[in-house]
Amino acid sequence: MYWKYVVRRLLYAALIMVVCVFVFSLLFNTVADKVLRAQIDEQVKGELTQLAKANPNMHQEQRMAIREERTARLYERFHLNESMVSRVMFRTWSSLKFDFGESMQMKSMAGSTKVNTILFERVPRTLLLFGVAAVFDIVLGVWLGLVKARRAGKTMDRSTDIVTMIVFGLPGWWLGMMLIMLFAFAIPIFPSSAMHSSPPPAQALGYFLDLMWHLALPVITLILLGFWGRAYVTRNLVLSTLQEDFIMSARARGLSERRILFGHTLRAAAPPIVTMSLLALVVSIGGALVFEGIFSWPGLGNLYWQAVQQNDVPVLMGDLTVTTALFIAALAFLDLVYGFLDPRVKVGGKA
Amino acid sequence: MKGARFDQLRTFWGEFRRVKFGLVGIGLLVVFALIVLLAPLLSPFTQADQRWRDMTYWLDSPREARPMWVNWFTSKKYATTETIAAASTIETVTGSMRILEMEFPYQYTAGRPPNDLVLKMGITGRTSYELLIQRPDGKQMSYRGSTVVDGAQVLRLSVVETLASRVYAVLAPSEDPKFAASKDPQQIDPMGAMFGKAQPGIFTTPENVKGTYTVKLKLALISPESKLDSAVINIMGGVSGLLGTDGAKRDLWSGVIAGTKWALLLGLLTSLISVVVGVVYGVASGYFGGWIDALMNRIYEVFTSIPLLPILIVMSAVFKPSIWIMILIMCVFFWTGPVKTVRSIALQIKENAYIEAARGLGASHGRILFRHMVPQLVPFAFASMALSVPGAIVFEATISLIGLGDATVVTWGQILRDAFGSGAVLKGVWWWVVPPGIAIAVMGMTFAFIGFAMDTILNPKLKTR
Repeated sequence: MYWKYVVRRLLYAALIMVVCVFVFSLLFNTVADKVLRAQIDEQVKGELTQLAKANPNMHQEQRMAIREERTARLYERFHLNESMVSRVMFRTWSSLKFDFGESMQMKSMAGSTKVNTILFERVPRTLLLFGVAAVFDIVLGVWLGLVKARRAGKTMDRSTDIVTMIVFGLPGWWLGMMLIMLFAFAIPIFPSSAMHSSPPPAQALGYFLDLMWHLALPVITLILLGFWGRAYVTRNLVLSTLQEDFIMSARARGLSERRILFGHTLRAAAPPIVTMSLLALVVSIGGALVFEGIFSWPGLGNLYWQAVQQNDVPVLMGDLTVTTALFIAALAFLDLVYGFLDPRVKVGGKA
Repeated sequence: MKGARFDQLRTFWGEFRRVKFGLVGIGLLVVFALIVLLAPLLSPFTQADQRWRDMTYWLDSPREARPMWVNWFTSKKYATTETIAAASTIETVTGSMRILEMEFPYQYTAGRPPNDLVLKMGITGRTSYELLIQRPDGKQMSYRGSTVVDGAQVLRLSVVETLASRVYAVLAPSEDPKFAASKDPQQIDPMGAMFGKAQPGIFTTPENVKGTYTVKLKLALISPESKLDSAVINIMGGVSGLLGTDGAKRDLWSGVIAGTKWALLLGLLTSLISVVVGVVYGVASGYFGGWIDALMNRIYEVFTSIPLLPILIVMSAVFKPSIWIMILIMCVFFWTGPVKTVRSIALQIKENAYIEAARGLGASHGRILFRHMVPQLVPFAFASMALSVPGAIVFEATISLIGLGDATVVTWGQILRDAFGSGAVLKGVWWWVVPPGIAIAVMGMTFAFIGFAMDTILNPKLKTR
């Protein structure tokens, strides 16, 4: 039953998410506490200095009282006075509810300091960038992989293999830097950063074109690096399917090579190709987050840079949780697609 | 048994030798190893590795100078970086004071002026000095100063930093008066003007004048113990070294050389530890089966469900790790790489009769695992080790790029971070951005060549149709 498989897989994903969030909370408990405490103390000190400036003849005791009261209230807000177990549990539970409280310094576009607002206004932007790149990446990759498989061992296959190996250890963000230098400064045809011109065009069409224009360079960078790997995997999957008995029997029946490749091989190899490509993409998104910083793309990846620079622990934790959630959700989705395409999986039998 | 394994390795090498790009990979690896071994001979700044962030070590280099070889491709040559010693020294005694007069001729033949001209002198005791620069057209600018400290000190008098206003004052009469009056003296390019023709436009579009520029130093040694230890002119050229210099005057060639060591070390160490752990884990999981296998699978899946880079970023932000801790953290996540394949291979090996025979003879689990199963996976382990090295290097570079790396070592990622952080990408300082990235890419390529070569040997059916 497919829906049973769906439920099981989703429950499993939820369980993994809980484990991950718990591990994060445990791992970062002490440090998060320490940073929070230091920041609270600093904040209160700052408030007091301002207070002292505003009314200089305030009493020393009065100031101390205000200070203690403020500190206690902020400690309470972040559950800093309770036992470690309860702090970890509190953090796990509130992270699972996507309740990350208020940021220390960072603000959303509209000026809100709620971590959630900061995070969720960025999720669609990241999905847009990587979604567009993924479509091109897979289409180009599978196409090249098929071409390679048809001419396996020939010059074309070998030379693209070499390119695959050359880009294997190339950091995507470095290529991004190079392309910015080339196409935003040496030959200025693309903008170097951001998502819109400022101010963005008011008309819908103009807005869309402006967005595409800003999207072009980062997407080109992602594709340039990505699709070689996809092609390599596709080629290998197609080639190993070609060794199967049913292909031999198809050949024996005298079918054309073209028919064998597209009619028989590709059909059998499609599920793993689709999932392997998507899987590689999902994994690469984790790595490509830095990439947003290079292009100042205002997504979740860029948020890591900003949060790290401002040492904003709540935002950092929130960003980590949301990225992990997206990652786990994508993996679960992939398994569901795979189960749908390949009936052997959902029965739960031995693969 | 030993001989058999040796034979196995020899056949493997025999096959490997036939994969051309695999040999290229091995060759590149040898080159990298040689670079690490010969680092002191290759880099002009031998202490680059230890004193990369020590600004005092780099004072005598130009800032953001292009690589030397840029001059081969342009007709307007950049001035080269050089040191000029005194051509003549005259000492006169007047009363209790001794006066040294030195001349440093600079034959300027380049098409573009140097970045700076610096008089570097070591002085002991009280002195007063006058620095005078005479242009080929006779115009000269001077600067006076004195030292009052008793001990030895090193003085650097830079045209850009100390003489800029003199350059302006001397050359302003030649400039279009309207323009000269409206122009802020701080805004002109002093080097361009100094080596430019005295005519209107000297502050905006100076016309290059070649010839001998003479720097004269007149030094009065006031107290009996005062003396001049050394005096040279450093021409901070527009080009310097094999790969130029960065915004903090550091020689990039020395930096890239120093980074090679760390890239190799962290790449190999991370992949070695994580592949060993992964192979043992996978074999154990496949061999034991049952609930142990199920549990190990769950643990494995949790690790693969964590997005690696974000957690690495957050961990680095929170723990500010040294390079060693960073390697450890990477191992904690990288070991999952080979597990799945190893487990499926182990499931096949397990079914072999000799494993059953070994068990029947009373061999312990450990003996079966490590004597009979793990050795069979050695070729595969090498392949996946080679393939995980680039990942480790890129991860370190990425963490460094965000500014969370170990700042006490020189890695290629650190150099790229400095470049990105000081806007090299936007300013077009390509010689700061390109070499470290190429180094990472070539190192990645090296291990990819080796790994993919092993991969084609291990999966022979993927060679052709």
